[in-house]
Amino acid sequence: MKSEKTSPFGTGIFLCSVVCVLATLSCPPPGAQAEDPDSSLITIYTVNYPLKYFAQRIAGEQAGVVFPAPADEDPAFWSPGPDTIGAFQKADLILLNGAGYAKWVEKASLPRSKVLDTSAEFKDRYIKVAGAVTHSHGAGGEHAHEGVAFTTWLDFDLAAKQAGAIGNALSQMRPDLLDEFQRNFAMLARDLKDIDKSIRKIVSKNPSQPLIGSHPVYDYFSSRYGLNMKSVHWEPGETPSNEQWAELKGILSNHQAKWMIWEGKPMQASVDKLKSAGIGSLVFDPCGNAPDQGDFLSAMRQNVENLKAAFP
Amino acid sequence: MIDSLYIAWKYLGFNKMRTATLVACITLISFLPASLQLLLDESERQLMSRAVVTPLVIGAKGSSLDLVMNTLYFGDEVPERISMEAADRVWDTGLALSIPAYVRFQARGHPIVGTSLDYFDFRGLVVADGRMLAVLGECVLGARAAEGLGLGPGDGLVSSPETLFDLAGIYPLKMRVVGVLQKSHTPDDLAVFVDLKTAWVIQGLGHGHEDVTRIKDPTLILERTEANVAASAKLFHFTEITEKNLESFHFHGDLSSYPITAVIAVPKDAKSGTILRGRYLSKEEPCQIVRPEDVIDALLQSIFRIKNVLDAVISVVALATVLALILVFALSLRLRQREIQTIFKLGCSRMTIARLIAAEISIIVLLSGLLCGAMIFLVNHFSNDLVRMLFIR
Repeated sequence: MKSEKTSPFGTGIFLCSVVCVLATLSCPPPGAQAEDPDSSLITIYTVNYPLKYFAQRIAGEQAGVVFPAPADEDPAFWSPGPDTIGAFQKADLILLNGAGYAKWVEKASLPRSKVLDTSAEFKDRYIKVAGAVTHSHGAGGEHAHEGVAFTTWLDFDLAAKQAGAIGNALSQMRPDLLDEFQRNFAMLARDLKDIDKSIRKIVSKNPSQPLIGSHPVYDYFSSRYGLNMKSVHWEPGETPSNEQWAELKGILSNHQAKWMIWEGKPMQASVDKLKSAGIGSLVFDPCGNAPDQGDFLSAMRQNVENLKAAFP
Repeated sequence: MIDSLYIAWKYLGFNKMRTATLVACITLISFLPASLQLLLDESERQLMSRAVVTPLVIGAKGSSLDLVMNTLYFGDEVPERISMEAADRVWDTGLALSIPAYVRFQARGHPIVGTSLDYFDFRGLVVADGRMLAVLGECVLGARAAEGLGLGPGDGLVSSPETLFDLAGIYPLKMRVVGVLQKSHTPDDLAVFVDLKTAWVIQGLGHGHEDVTRIKDPTLILERTEANVAASAKLFHFTEITEKNLESFHFHGDLSSYPITAVIAVPKDAKSGTILRGRYLSKEEPCQIVRPEDVIDALLQSIFRIKNVLDAVISVVALATVLALILVFALSLRLRQREIQTIFKLGCSRMTIARLIAAEISIIVLLSGLLCGAMIFLVNHFSNDLVRMLFIR
């Protein structure tokens, strides 16, 4: 009988093959990758920038916060497409401002278990917008389509409450991170309180001074700080029409305001024309969308600085 | 033995009518109890499997069976309505996940289930084709509803009017199909899912129309004051929600007063469930809270009691049939007396004659067994549908 002699080269190839096969088998399958370091991140979607800022401040590194509205859109009136709504649905937490902010929410399907209405706690403090026209038809009788002012966060006390609601929701989701969330919230609340104090101090110099708001977004701001403000409906980036000037004239006849507060930088022509009428212009950006520079806090600090001009 | 079988086979073939009658009798008498047992087992499985995974159901006081059948199996009997406040109440306790359900309307014979997105997570329903509900006016179809209706993402589906003669009633809503769910082998497969708000639009509680404050046509306006515009019945209401008219859709009043048929409550733990149940014990309480498992269990007990009666009836019939069969064979032997005598005179033993008759009986029983087996196989194969057709819907 002929015996076959195994060459050392052949044995080497065989051992290498065995090692390769074992190495392949020991690798996890593609679906079972090693634990993703970001998998524990809380995904949060928000309907406006202030909520995004609050969530980021409180959650810190523990959450990925997404505010998907484009930079040039007013989030209060922006409507996301089905894909974006789908992304909202998949989030761990969906932060709503409440008070009718972001009209699309009323018509969208969102999982209630993930939705947090950050202003639900102070619903009784919502400010109703006067002048709404009701309509009636059919058996339903008269229906009021009255609006509610929604820029709640410009009352910095309410803003702190909204932040508190976010903090509570996050703590319930991740009780193991309670201390971190509480610490972060305390710092945010202190910052908001500082702004609140600064505005109170500024306004206290002449609280009855008549003011004009370029847009009806300052209801909570006026209410909190006792401002004597009336609003027109002007856009900072548009030249006011003759009707709008006439409307302003009508308001000024019994509300002698010396300052108009704009939500964004107004056109120079508007500023000049107002100046000729003895009205100065200052910007108090509500920051519904992300500011071009800085963040919510720096934008609000700048607003406080701007406000000083009206209360010398 | 083969010879006996051959002769018996030929004999049975010659007396076709008699053979067919005997086979039919034996088949039916063995098929009936077996199939009944199969169907009952399947109905128990279907009813209990869904009931067990649905911890608590809250609805108006009344028939708990109607409430559970409507909420879990989308039965036709619609329970008394409760308001969304009931769902909010559960939510506010923090003891359970609250999933509202409004199962009242139909679309081409399929139940329209108005609910929140949490329902899909709770039941583990996944979209197989298309996407999940995103905005008002959209619907997602169960797998078998989509098959039956021949619809898929992008198609339209019109809700059916509640009564044919309600000419002044609400216009049906044309819904847009945006997704089809993966088959779940549950009643969800046959349903049309919509957001709760879409269900309210179907009911006419939410609607879309032109902005009445801007209408120029004087025939559409009954009265116009500074504070109110009263529109006439001529005001056109949109019957389909599109991207263009979505903005015009609105709801009046407090949504918490809007109707639903039930709330599925999923407690955080057993203790939370017990506390929650305790809150519905008061006599003044307008709502009831039930454990579907208990309700279905009681239903099954009733079914089993009926089954026992049926079993007794079938046993008596079976006994009568067996006696009739014995009589048929005895008479047959008497009629075949001359034939048996001839076989005997030809030299066959009595044993051979016994073998011949035994072979005949064996063939008849075998044929009945085969036929019965085939029928049971069919019943078993379609038991899911049969149960749904006969018992659940």
